[in-house]
Amino acid sequence: MVNIGKIEGYNYSVFVGSEDFMDFRTLVPVGSSAPDFQATLLETGLPVNLSEYWKKSDVLIEFGSFT
Amino acid sequence: MAREFASKGVEFVFLYSREAHPGENYPAHRSFEQKLAHARAFKAEFKVERPILVDDLTGTAHKLYGSLPNMTYFIARGGRVLFRADWTDPLTIEYAIKYVLDSRARRREGLRLAPFYAEFVGYRWNDPLKFQKGLARAGQQAVDDFARAMEKRLKQPPRPGRIELSE
Repeated sequence: MVNIGKIEGYNYSVFVGSEDFMDFRTLVPVGSSAPDFQATLLETGLPVNLSEYWKKSDVLIEFGSFT
Repeated sequence: MAREFASKGVEFVFLYSREAHPGENYPAHRSFEQKLAHARAFKAEFKVERPILVDDLTGTAHKLYGSLPNMTYFIARGGRVLFRADWTDPLTIEYAIKYVLDSRARRREGLRLAPFYAEFVGYRWNDPLKFQKGLARAGQQAVDDFARAMEKRLKQPPRPGRIELSE
């Protein structure tokens, strides 16, 4: 059971534009191993790991949202 | 571009994260079903053919990779990160992938190549009208919040880690 505060903290309802660029700079540098994660494949509704993709081929991953 | 590089062994995927500019029409996610619904709308509106991976509600994948709204990462087969950017620009991505593929071709021709670390400043073409249209589609609140944030930003020092326009 994830706590509501964590959900509302991440999913801000007001854009303020104060993104921290330092996490990007420091977390996954080029040359390092891509961290794996599980996400839901929209097409099927089933869980999928990112590693399933890079085990078979190169992967270009774009992060984003509708807005 | 995804189709062009698919034949060269590069799979393009999209990771659906939190709403960058929530508004009345597309508010901040409060349930996973809502996030899925937004992702479906995104797929339909922009006719996205790439697989869409929807991140969990607390942004696990998004945070792992740096939490920025529109990052790109190129991960070589086997899992090594070969390129990444803090924004998504198609031209830049094309250059980067071609660089990787060319390097491999040279190696296959017999050249001994050693990897090294490099960085560069990217430039992306930015269409303000299109961007405002996108905000309006999210809702008036998205438009207002962005305007307010821009006003505030003018009075603040540059943020660490962010490439600022200096010219």
